[in-house]
Amino acid sequence: MNLKEKVVINEGIGHPAQGLYKLVLSGEAAKTARPGQFLHIQVTDTSDPLLRRPLSIAGIDPERGEVTIYYRIKGKGTELLSRIPAGQVLSVLGPLGTGFSIPEKGELLLIAGGIGMFPLFSVIQSAEKYPVKIKVLWGGENKDFLDSADLNLLLQKGLEVELSTLDGSFGEKDLVTALLEKHLALGSTQELLHGGLLQAAACGPNGMLKAVAGICLNSNVPLEVSLEERMACGVGACLGCVCTVRAENGGLKRKRVCKEGPVMNGQEVVWDADI
Amino acid sequence: MQTFNLETDLAGLKLKNPVITASGTYGFGEVYAPFYEPSILGGITVKGITPLPRLGNPVPRLAETPSGLLNSVGLENPGLEAFLKNYLPQLASLDTAVIVNISGFSLEDYALMASSFQRGCGIAALEVNISCPNIKHGGMAFGTDPKSAEEVIAAVRKETDLPLIAKLSPNVTDITAMAKAVESGGADIISLINTLLGMQIDLNTQKPVLANTMGGLSGPAVRPVAVRMVYQVYQAVKLPVIGMGGILTWQDAIEFMLAGASAVSIGTANFGNPLAPVEILEGIQAYCNQRGYQSVGEIVGLAHAQKG
Repeated sequence: MNLKEKVVINEGIGHPAQGLYKLVLSGEAAKTARPGQFLHIQVTDTSDPLLRRPLSIAGIDPERGEVTIYYRIKGKGTELLSRIPAGQVLSVLGPLGTGFSIPEKGELLLIAGGIGMFPLFSVIQSAEKYPVKIKVLWGGENKDFLDSADLNLLLQKGLEVELSTLDGSFGEKDLVTALLEKHLALGSTQELLHGGLLQAAACGPNGMLKAVAGICLNSNVPLEVSLEERMACGVGACLGCVCTVRAENGGLKRKRVCKEGPVMNGQEVVWDADI
Repeated sequence: MQTFNLETDLAGLKLKNPVITASGTYGFGEVYAPFYEPSILGGITVKGITPLPRLGNPVPRLAETPSGLLNSVGLENPGLEAFLKNYLPQLASLDTAVIVNISGFSLEDYALMASSFQRGCGIAALEVNISCPNIKHGGMAFGTDPKSAEEVIAAVRKETDLPLIAKLSPNVTDITAMAKAVESGGADIISLINTLLGMQIDLNTQKPVLANTMGGLSGPAVRPVAVRMVYQVYQAVKLPVIGMGGILTWQDAIEFMLAGASAVSIGTANFGNPLAPVEILEGIQAYCNQRGYQSVGEIVGLAHAQKG
């Protein structure tokens, strides 16, 4: 859990303006990592920033002992991370948190918003071992983003991918939730659903996840979501990263995104709880 | 290394060494057990508990600042009853001093909490939190007025025979007035500092980052303030002091001890480095050994002695 991981690759991908990076780490993490889990990475020896960066795992290669992470520069911590050269050894806690469940048959519907696609890459990698049909619905800001965020990886695998962008520069000019509604309305999807052979996994901004959860609830599609929240310790001590869920007695309670999540039942989460 | 006495006696609260973990950074003793055996430490302070369960504040609860962390968790906890049933038995089995941190919204709350813990119940001391900045109409209100602070401590004192630690808020003009007040109220030990009230504003949304608007600042950013307050309190009262506030390394811990802390509490450092308390303990030991001290208590308050 308290690991030393060696940086194999840490380089910008796609258009520099997107600020996207690919990080490959070599060490023990790959041995036990499951899709949906995250690593808590120390990016500096100084006290600024004080905290580690929680980054979700996008690829797991137990044979080579490597995990792959994609991240976007968002602040000082990820900016410092982007400057760490290959060969350096990092202090890493993990793999942490819960993972996605991987179906062994039927259709796995992946719904991603923006960089929420990255943890779903690891889901694809695991599901590929089974006779599962993988369908990807991915919404991004624009074509520039989707190209930069390794869209080609999905296309090369020959997966069925439907895209939407906010500005219409690629795929549908719409939200990813519109793609989801369209897909669920298909007769073939309905058939799978009635046979209990459809399962969905989603990751993206909270607003998108809330909408996805609503649509899946209406259509009775089992859904897992990967949540994101500001995190300090990553192991359940600080209670900083909680989400609100329905308790057994019908009331509300908190769960820690780092510990009981980040992957949770999409229908359990109370979105916009405002308490 | 020569044999060296790490034992620390805080007015009857006996610790095997002077390193404790701070409330709200260590769960109920279970969180960091996968990293090391908690019994290595002098003591652990559990997450603050209140009479009834609390959901705490909405998210965002965290904001990072230069060498610091703002939090507004808002005392999320399972409540007294669930704590006694689900957490106390496991805590009582640990071979380290377990300190239970209690909070309330009225004198009656504090008294009720205190009456549930007595010598022999499996814990070593009670820490009375009169300094939480993250709940309305409570906590810190008791900790910023000397008269209220004295009343709370006196009310708690009547209800329990356990050693009482008063945890002070730094959000006051004169920390020594607060220290004297809790001494009069019957506290055995003073711990300080709790977090400094702060806030951060997002330039994109142009709104406060924390859902609760304000939060408590911890981490190295507050350390000089904490060292100063420990120094002042050491001079002002006779009670032993547990020093805390941004201790990341053994050097930081030694600084607090020189200022007058008989023990140190490690809080925010746990979040970045789960092994921080263990490394700090080893560092304190090495420092004292190297300088030829026979017991760790010899360095407490040396910054004062050297002044004259």
